[in-house]
Amino acid sequence: MDGQVSTFQFLGMTFNTANIVSGLVVFVILVAIMFLCSRHISMKPGKGQNFLEWLIDFTNGILKGSLPNNEVNAFGLYAFVLFAFLFVSNTLGLFIQVSMHGVTLVRSPTSDPIVTLTFSLTTMMIAQFAGVRKLGYKRHFENYLHPFKIWIVMNVFEQFTDFLTLGLRIFGVVFSGEMLLKVIYTDLAAKGGAWLIAAVPLEVIWQGFSVFLGAIQAFVFVTLSTVYIAKGLGEE
Amino acid sequence: MLSHLVIGQLYYGDSLFYIVCFLILMWLVKLMAWKPITKMMQDRSDKISNDIDSAEQSRTEAAKLAKQRQAELDKSHDDASNIISEARSNGQKEHDNIVSQAQEDANRVKVNAQKDIEQERKDALANAKDDVADLSIEIASKIIQKELSANDQKALIDSYIEGLGK
Repeated sequence: MDGQVSTFQFLGMTFNTANIVSGLVVFVILVAIMFLCSRHISMKPGKGQNFLEWLIDFTNGILKGSLPNNEVNAFGLYAFVLFAFLFVSNTLGLFIQVSMHGVTLVRSPTSDPIVTLTFSLTTMMIAQFAGVRKLGYKRHFENYLHPFKIWIVMNVFEQFTDFLTLGLRIFGVVFSGEMLLKVIYTDLAAKGGAWLIAAVPLEVIWQGFSVFLGAIQAFVFVTLSTVYIAKGLGEE
Repeated sequence: MLSHLVIGQLYYGDSLFYIVCFLILMWLVKLMAWKPITKMMQDRSDKISNDIDSAEQSRTEAAKLAKQRQAELDKSHDDASNIISEARSNGQKEHDNIVSQAQEDANRVKVNAQKDIEQERKDALANAKDDVADLSIEIASKIIQKELSANDQKALIDSYIEGLGK
């Protein structure tokens, strides 16, 4: 963010250290949560199982809002993991921000547009593949010619804007949230004295609000992904 | 800040890393949580619908059994009252028979007794008549011996007999 980001080269590609480390942290947190909550699965659910079932019901509910029932199972896992990953990513930077020698190591992965655009691109690709799988190449790409042939310009452009807005919306919210946290912390608290005391409740309030925003953004991202997939399937 | 978004400086590596990470995460979640939990949710909903069905079934069965039992109860009640009324009418009939038999017997005994008494009386009267006649003749013969006319004798006997008939 404000601090420098270090990059390294691997197999001829440039990697951002902060993104890699933060991504791994999110990965480990999610695997741990899923592992711990899915022990002792039984007909009468325990705490962890209840939590996961609630989450699965929640994401399946999002899917059922726009997809036909027989398609829900095919995208249930994607929506579930996407929601969990985005929510943890959005909130990670609110509580853990690690810098070393002025180089940011851990922050919200979703405060980098490359990460959010990656997920947005994944969703758009899934929508395309789902459309082709269901309708076949010919009928799927014919949909771009509706309602008029000239509309193909609008439709292709719409795909591109969908891709950008989907990714940049979540990035903007998380990035600005983290930015404000950092401003409160560095500029306000650094003045010391009464400012430091005032900074603490502000920081707490903004953290709470950002958790709320992070959840909303993850929900919106999954909802819009579902809508785009439904559109790809020809379910207007 | 956004300098790395400029094409050429975009870190493709990060994208690739996140896609690989996400795929592995999806696989792990599917293995650990998604599959068993969705299966359990499905099983549970199946079980619940089964339970509802079987509950409905046993409810109707219970209702049927209760109705059957009620019918049997009613039937046995009817049977019992039939048996009682039959026994009562049998007893009444028996009672009537015995009473009428006894009445008949008593009447017969009474009639026989009256007949016997009448016979006895008649016999006694006849005997007495004979005896009186014999006695009269004897007395008459004794009186005749004291010169009694035949007419006086006859009148005497008749008056005796008349006196007996009264």
